[in-house]
Amino acid sequence: MDAAAPRPKENMGEPLPRVDARLKVTGQAHYPADLPTANIAYGALATSSIAKGKVTKLRLDDVRAVPGLLDIVTYGDMDKVDKPKFGNSGATSIGPLHDRRIFHDGQIVALAVAETFEAAEEAARLIRAEYEEEKPTATFDSPGTATIPAAGKSPLFKEDVKAGDFDAAYADAAVKIDQRYSTPTQHHNPIELFSTTAFWEGDQLTVHEPSQNVTGWKVELARQLKIDPAKVRIVSPFIGGAFGSKGPMTPRTAIVAVAAKRLGRPVRCVTSRMQAFGTQTYRAETRHRIRIGAGKDGRISAFAHEGWEVTSRPDAYVVGGTSATGRMYDYGSVLTHVSLVQTDRNTPGYMRSPPETPYVYALENAMDEMAVALGMDPVEFRRINEPKVEPIGKKPFSSRSLIQCYDQAAEAFGWADRDPKVGAMRDGDWLVGMGCATAIYPTAVAPCAARVRLTVDGDVRLQCGSHEIGTGVRTVAGQMASERLGVSIDKISVEMGDSSLPPAPVSGGSISTASVCSAVLMACDAIRTKLYAAATAEGGPLVGSHNEELELAGGKIVAKSGASAKVGDVLKAMQVGAIEEYAEFAPKNATPEALKKLYAGTPEFHGADQDEDSVKYAFGAEFVEVRINRFTREIRVPRIVGAFAAGRIMNTRTARSQLMGGMIWGIGQALHEATEVDRRYARYVNRDLQDYLVPVNADIKDLQVILVPEVDHAVNPAGAKGLGELGNVGTAAAVASAVYHATGKRIRDLPIRIEQLLV
Amino acid sequence: MSQPSVASNNGFSRRRFMAGTVSAAAAPLLASTAQAEAPVIPQTKLRQPVVTSLRINEQPYELSLDTRTSLLDALRDHAGLTGTKKGCDHGQCGACTVLVDGKRVLSCLSFAVMNDGKDITTVEGLASSDGKLHPMQQAFIDQDAFQCGYCTPGQILSAIGCVNEGHAESENDIREYMSGNICRCAAYPNIVAAILQARDETKGA
Repeated sequence: MDAAAPRPKENMGEPLPRVDARLKVTGQAHYPADLPTANIAYGALATSSIAKGKVTKLRLDDVRAVPGLLDIVTYGDMDKVDKPKFGNSGATSIGPLHDRRIFHDGQIVALAVAETFEAAEEAARLIRAEYEEEKPTATFDSPGTATIPAAGKSPLFKEDVKAGDFDAAYADAAVKIDQRYSTPTQHHNPIELFSTTAFWEGDQLTVHEPSQNVTGWKVELARQLKIDPAKVRIVSPFIGGAFGSKGPMTPRTAIVAVAAKRLGRPVRCVTSRMQAFGTQTYRAETRHRIRIGAGKDGRISAFAHEGWEVTSRPDAYVVGGTSATGRMYDYGSVLTHVSLVQTDRNTPGYMRSPPETPYVYALENAMDEMAVALGMDPVEFRRINEPKVEPIGKKPFSSRSLIQCYDQAAEAFGWADRDPKVGAMRDGDWLVGMGCATAIYPTAVAPCAARVRLTVDGDVRLQCGSHEIGTGVRTVAGQMASERLGVSIDKISVEMGDSSLPPAPVSGGSISTASVCSAVLMACDAIRTKLYAAATAEGGPLVGSHNEELELAGGKIVAKSGASAKVGDVLKAMQVGAIEEYAEFAPKNATPEALKKLYAGTPEFHGADQDEDSVKYAFGAEFVEVRINRFTREIRVPRIVGAFAAGRIMNTRTARSQLMGGMIWGIGQALHEATEVDRRYARYVNRDLQDYLVPVNADIKDLQVILVPEVDHAVNPAGAKGLGELGNVGTAAAVASAVYHATGKRIRDLPIRIEQLLV
Repeated sequence: MSQPSVASNNGFSRRRFMAGTVSAAAAPLLASTAQAEAPVIPQTKLRQPVVTSLRINEQPYELSLDTRTSLLDALRDHAGLTGTKKGCDHGQCGACTVLVDGKRVLSCLSFAVMNDGKDITTVEGLASSDGKLHPMQQAFIDQDAFQCGYCTPGQILSAIGCVNEGHAESENDIREYMSGNICRCAAYPNIVAAILQARDETKGA
C-alpha cells in the first residue's frame, strides 16, 4: 500500500479515498464564492487606517463618480439591525458600522457595491475617512494595557486549576527551573479567501459563506437582522481550509446581507488577503512562566504554569491552555493562573488547537529543560512522570497511550542512536539535533442530528449540517453508513454544509467525527431495526432469526444460519420505497436542554475534563531531527516522526493526512509563522502570504505518521477521539529541543529564526 | 467538461448566457438559488471595456472586459469557470495557476487582455470528454494529495507544468519547483508522491 493509505490495524477503518475527491480534482467542488448566482453585484470593503479613535467624516464624492458604482453601505445604514455578539457564533461584539468608534486597525468603515469587481475595488480604495485619532495600545508592554484574570471571563475557562501545595513542594525540590516562554500572533490564512454572498428571495435570505458553523450562524445572523431563523439559510458545501477562522461569524456577513436587501440583488464580497488580517480572528500572542521542581530521581513534585494572553478591549477571548498542561503529568502539586491583557486590537479567536498549541509548547520546552537539568533522557523523564490519575481531580484517563506512542515513535525515529551530548552530532557543515515532545488534545463530543434514507434500489442519502473543511468528515460519515447498512460507499451520497440540513455542532474542537458518526450510527441502526423487524416477522424471509444473529452486508440481510434476504425485497414486502430515519444524538452526560441548544446553534460540549467518571484526551509523541548550518545558521527539518493514539480510527487515509498536516503546521509554528505588530500603530505589518511565512513544499522532507491502536468505549458511541488538532501540539517544542541539542542554545520565543542562533 | 463556444457582438450576451447555463448545472442543493436573468450592464457603467478573445480548454470565448480584469477574474466571473481559485490575488499562493500556451502562469498576475488569442488550460479542461481523468488528477486522488481541495486545481496545473519543464526528475526538484503553490492543509509529501506517480504518464499526455 502507498504511504497515503496506511494498512488498518486493530480498531481502524479502511483507507477509502475521499468521497468528494473527484469533484476536488476536476474543479467541480463549489466553494461558497464559486456557487453560481445570477445578476450578482460585487462588494469591496474599505477599512480604517488607524487603530483607536473615531471617524469624524467619510469623503465619498470621488467614490460616487466611479462608473458602475451601485451603493455604499456605511454609518447609519446598519441602525435597524442589532450589533454582533461575541461568543461561539460571533467573532466580536464590535459592530463596525454601528459605531463611529475605531477599536482596531483595519476595522470596516464602509462597503462599496458595484457592477463589477474592478469598480467595487476602485470605489473602496477612494473612500477616505477623517479621524479623531488616539494613541493605540498594540500588545504586551505597550503603554495603556489593562491586565485582568481570565478565570470566569469565558464559559470555556471557568477556573485556574490547582492541586496540593505548590509553594512548599517547589521550595523543597532538589532540582528546579523557572523560565519564561512566548508565542507570537498568528493568522490562520486558509488559502480560500473569506467571502460573503447574500441574496433575498422575498423575506428569505440565503448566504453563501465558508463556515464551520452553519446552524450557529443562521441563528446569530437572524438575531442581528431581527428576523425568524427559519428565514435564513447558510450554504457552505465545501470550505477551503478553516483551522478555526470560519468558526465564529464576523460582522461582514450582516453588512453584505443589508447591502443585498437595499439593492434587491445578490451581493458578493470577497475580502482581500490583506483585509482578512484585521476583519477576521487570529491566534493571540501569549507569554508563559513555568516553574518545575523535581527530586534527583526525576519525579516531579511541583508544577506552576502562568499565562498572559492578548485580547481586544471589548471582548474577553481566553486561550487558557492550563486545563491540559495542568493534567499532563504526575506533578504532585499544581498551580496555574491565566491573565488577559487588553489592547486596541481586533478580537482574537480559535486557531487550530487554540489552547494547547501555545501552552503545551511552553510546558514541553520546559520539560526538555528540566530533563537537561536532571541529566536525564527526555523520553525517560516523561516515562517516570506518567500519571495513573490526572493530578487535578484525581480522575482516571478514559484511555492514555502516551508511552506506547513514545515507544513506537522512538523506535521508528532511531532515538537510541542519538548521542545525548549537545553539539555532538554533525554532518559536514551541518549541526544535527534531535528532540521530542508530547502531543495532547482534549476529546470532546457534542449533540448532533442526522437523516439517513435507504431506498429500494439500495441507494443511501445521508444528510447532516456538519462541514467539510478538509478533514474528510463527509467520507467518514459515509463510511459509517456503509458499514452499518452493508452498502458500498459509491451508493452513498453525503450532503453537508447547509443550515437547512439536520443540525450539527460547530466543526471545531476536533468533535466532528465523533459527533457526526455517533448520529449517523443511530440513524442507521434505526433503519436496521425496521428492516430486521420486517424480515423476521411472521411470513418474512428470515422468520425465527433474532436481531443479534443478523447483519447487513452486500445489500442483503444475512443470518448466522446462512439464510439471507435482499434489502430491496424486504422493502418491497413492506410496501415502501425507502426507509428514512432522523436521529438526534446526545452525549451520555448531556443536560435535558442539550438538543434544544443544538437547534439554537449553541451546542454543549461534553468529555475532556468535564465528565465525572474520567478525563478524556488523545495523545501523541513527536520526534524531529533538525540540521543547522554551521555558518549561516539556516535551520532545516529533514525528518519528523509522530505516533498518535486516538481511539477508533475511522479511515487511516484521512486520519494520517490530518495528522501529517498538523505536524507540518507544528513545523510552521516552530520556524515560520508570526504576524508582526507595529507597536507604534497597533497594525499588522506582514499582511500577505509573501511576508507571513508558512511551510512550503521545500520545507518538508521525510515525514512519518504512526497510528497506534487504541480502544476507548467511554468517549462516545463511535469510539473515536478527534485528531484534527492533535498533530500540531508539541511539535514546536520538539523542534526547540532539537535546536538545543544541536547548538546548546535554548530558544524560548517562537518562531525560532536564524537571527536567534547567530548571537 | 468543455464549455460550449459562444461568440457575442456586444460582449454582454456571454455573461447573460453563463448566468443561465451555470445555474442550471448547479448541484440540486442549490435548486432554489435566484435564477433571474442577468441584466445587461450599460456600457457607460464600465470603465474602458475591451473585447478579448481567449481559447479556454480548446473552446473559443469572446469576453467584454474591463481592461483591469485579471485573467483569473475573467475565468471565474466572466467565463463561469470557477475551478481556478483566488487565494491571494498577489501571485503569492499559486492557487490560480493555469497553463497559458502550455506554460504555468499565475492568472491573478496577468491581465486578461494580455492573453488575447492565447490558449488557456484550466482544471476543467484536463479530463477527457468521456470522463477519464488526467493521470495527474488520478494521482492526486490515489495519494490523497489534498484535504480541503482549494489549492488543488492550482497544484495540479502546476504539477503538469513542473513535469513538462523537466523539473520533476527528483523528489528534491519537485519540492523546489512546487514551492510556489502553498497548501495550507500541508499535503506536501502526498503531492510529491502524486507527481512521482503521474510523471511518466504526464510526459506522454
